[in-house]
Amino acid sequence: MLKQIKQWIARHRSGQSGSTAPENTPTPKTPGDQLLSECRLIVLDLETTGLNAGKDEVIAVGAVAINGGAIDLSDQFDLILRRPELDITETVLIHGIGPEALTQGHETEDALLFLLEWMNGDPVLAYHSAFDQKFLEKTLKAELGYTRNHTWMDVADLLPAFFPDAPTGGKGLDHWADFFGLEVSARHHAASDALATAELTLIALNRANKSGLKTLKHLHDKLRYHRRLQSIHGV
Amino acid sequence: MAAANQDNSRPQNTRSIMVFLQAHAPFSNMDDDHLAHFAEHSTLRFYADGDVVLAAEDGVVNRFYVVKQGRIRGERHNEKADKTETTFEISIGECFPLAAIVGERPTRTLHRAAGDTFCLSIEQDAFITLISESEPFRDFCLRGVSSLLDQVNQRIQTGAMVSMGSSISLSTPLDRYALRNPIVCTPDLPIRKAVALMHENNVGSIVITDDNRHPAGIFTLRDLRTMIAEDTCSLDAPVRQIMTKSPCCLPATADAFAAAMLMAEHHFSHLCLVDENNCLIGMVSERDLFSLQRVDLVSLARTIGTATHLRTLVSLRTDVSRLVDAMLAHGADSGQVVKIITTLNDVTVRRVLELNIQKNDPGIPFTWLTFGSEGRQEQTLLTDQDNGILFQTPDGMTEDQVREKLLPFARTVNDELAECGFTLCQGNIMASNPKLCLSDREWDDWFIRFIDASTPQNLVYSSIFLDMRAIFGPTDSLDELLAKVLSRIQKNALFQKMLAGNAFQRKPPLTMFRNFRYVTDGNKRSLDLKRQGLAPFVESVRVFALANGIKSANTLERMDDLAQAGVFDIKDANAWKDAYSLIQAIRMRSHQEMLERGEELTNYIDPDDLNPLDRRILRESFRQAQRLQQKLEVTYQL
Repeated sequence: MLKQIKQWIARHRSGQSGSTAPENTPTPKTPGDQLLSECRLIVLDLETTGLNAGKDEVIAVGAVAINGGAIDLSDQFDLILRRPELDITETVLIHGIGPEALTQGHETEDALLFLLEWMNGDPVLAYHSAFDQKFLEKTLKAELGYTRNHTWMDVADLLPAFFPDAPTGGKGLDHWADFFGLEVSARHHAASDALATAELTLIALNRANKSGLKTLKHLHDKLRYHRRLQSIHGV
Repeated sequence: MAAANQDNSRPQNTRSIMVFLQAHAPFSNMDDDHLAHFAEHSTLRFYADGDVVLAAEDGVVNRFYVVKQGRIRGERHNEKADKTETTFEISIGECFPLAAIVGERPTRTLHRAAGDTFCLSIEQDAFITLISESEPFRDFCLRGVSSLLDQVNQRIQTGAMVSMGSSISLSTPLDRYALRNPIVCTPDLPIRKAVALMHENNVGSIVITDDNRHPAGIFTLRDLRTMIAEDTCSLDAPVRQIMTKSPCCLPATADAFAAAMLMAEHHFSHLCLVDENNCLIGMVSERDLFSLQRVDLVSLARTIGTATHLRTLVSLRTDVSRLVDAMLAHGADSGQVVKIITTLNDVTVRRVLELNIQKNDPGIPFTWLTFGSEGRQEQTLLTDQDNGILFQTPDGMTEDQVREKLLPFARTVNDELAECGFTLCQGNIMASNPKLCLSDREWDDWFIRFIDASTPQNLVYSSIFLDMRAIFGPTDSLDELLAKVLSRIQKNALFQKMLAGNAFQRKPPLTMFRNFRYVTDGNKRSLDLKRQGLAPFVESVRVFALANGIKSANTLERMDDLAQAGVFDIKDANAWKDAYSLIQAIRMRSHQEMLERGEELTNYIDPDDLNPLDRRILRESFRQAQRLQQKLEVTYQL
């Protein structure tokens, strides 16, 4: 990762890939007739200093890409942002990221630009995506003045939409991971949680494909419908 | 493993995949860089229960897979039975397909997910990179499963070497093997005289040395044979004309392995040992290096066969155990080893009988029979007595009168065998039991009742009495008896079916999910390698053998004969033989380990004590037993 991002920064500084301006990053795609079996999806997880999007900050970004229905480990993002000025004593126990690791992070601006380019405007999935979306959009706006909206989908909705009766015993990532017997290598590590979320996504996509649901738009609609049903029933 | 964890320059998910891989062969032997290459180039796919992962229709295989979670089942369609059979199972950490990707062809087996399954896979490019850069990976892929078997055998051999100390290992310095002061002559000696010298000293080779005792050449009986056959030289010519010049020399400090390699490389059967001044000090022959264990076997058998006291026989039992160690260390397979143990046991039994006849001859000729594992020539160090007597009633005597003379004799023999380490049979299946000391007519009646009345007890006995062999006395009457028994069984479909049903009861110790099923008694997790591991093979094979008139009692030979008779598919028979032999090998090794710790021998092992590779092999072997039982099930419609 480090090597990759250094190369990218070097390329940018030497002006080989044009301007580093955020408006030149790939345009976010809208859900259309892209086939789920062919398109690229981003599965992302953020680590933050706390739960309050108003005052807390992003510490680390972990993401993997699903290409053509498979998690492609040559296409992943795993980075700790540079946030040495923050007081992170509260959450350091949960994440295991100490101040030392943070100072080894990267210039936030460069890292976020690289992230946008890596995301390539593709749809983003996350577990309880509202949280990650809020933090990421806030950070992008504050650091880069970037305001364009990606398509976000919530894996926490995706799973019950396809496995409505699964006795998971709860709605958390851990509940679903346990239910499907997944082994999460390092829980609360952004990249590791992203991989677990992506594995759950694959399981849901397999089921979607079998029920005849083939395109990104269908999937997006189904999630919207599922959310609306839930709000009606007040679940 | 720790190294991969600490290496923070790699993404967390790459590291975690490396850690996962490292727990399994062949990845456990691969360098971190190669593992990272695998991880970084891999994709992770999900297959729901029943999804097809790989099929012949997909064309030439271009991905190499490792199961990360769940299981993959290999399915092949059986044309004859018109149904799908599971040919193999691949579980966590195992790779597929090997033959197809290496052979750049489509797979021949349908690979299907059994349960929800995740697989890591790499494309052909990355696969080729790894094959060319990583030796363990290349070894593994090119030799496939056979390399796994090799690894197990290697480990069995290494273990045995350690337990023997360094006395026979190939790392022993050569001078321990060497013949000191070998026969030498000068280059000018006529060939005739050199051969006379060899003959006088009863050796197969002579070293020709110069005035300073430097080896100048070597002349062997093989050279003599070639010389005479091809008429290249007269017997009166000096030996230097025909000797092999500049013989292979090694310093005395070189080890046996170096010598073995040199011999193998140059096809020399003799090497000279020299000191630091290149002066001849000794000679090593191929036989010295490789046939130690054979010499031991022959001389041990001779010593047992000529022992004059029971206590000598008792003391020789330790030598048998040591020989087993040596055999395993020299790469003998378990089939050979059990036969050798049986041979030595036979010699011991015969000697005990001979000594007793010398002391107290019952005066009536008899045939000493053995049953069960000894009958099958499959004895290990843990062995029970299962024996009986077959006699022909002399004119003017009743059978009971004969028994009166034979039974006390048999009692003494049984007791003395017990002293030699053959445990008394708890079921009283011994020659001193009046019910098992019978005339040929009585035995025949006994078998008729046995086969006609298939009581549960008889079925239990079937594993003992239907594997029968004579080890002492005339064999004609037993041959006649056996021929009658076989033809009766071949005609009796009901008996066959009951035998098959009985054999089918012995399930290999695997659960539905292909985990080990443990013996429930006690709180220790254990597998009974004999009853749960070997018995399913032995029992199923026996049914097929008896039903098809196969005379051999040995399980491996029975399988060979059944394959020849076309009853077993040759590939199946080989897979079953391998599986059976591996369970047997693991059992024997554990016996040797128990002996070493001074424990009582049992057939129980805790699979957790095995390394992951052995566990995997053991599980696969049990699965082969399940396949064999499936054949039984289909054949006899159980």
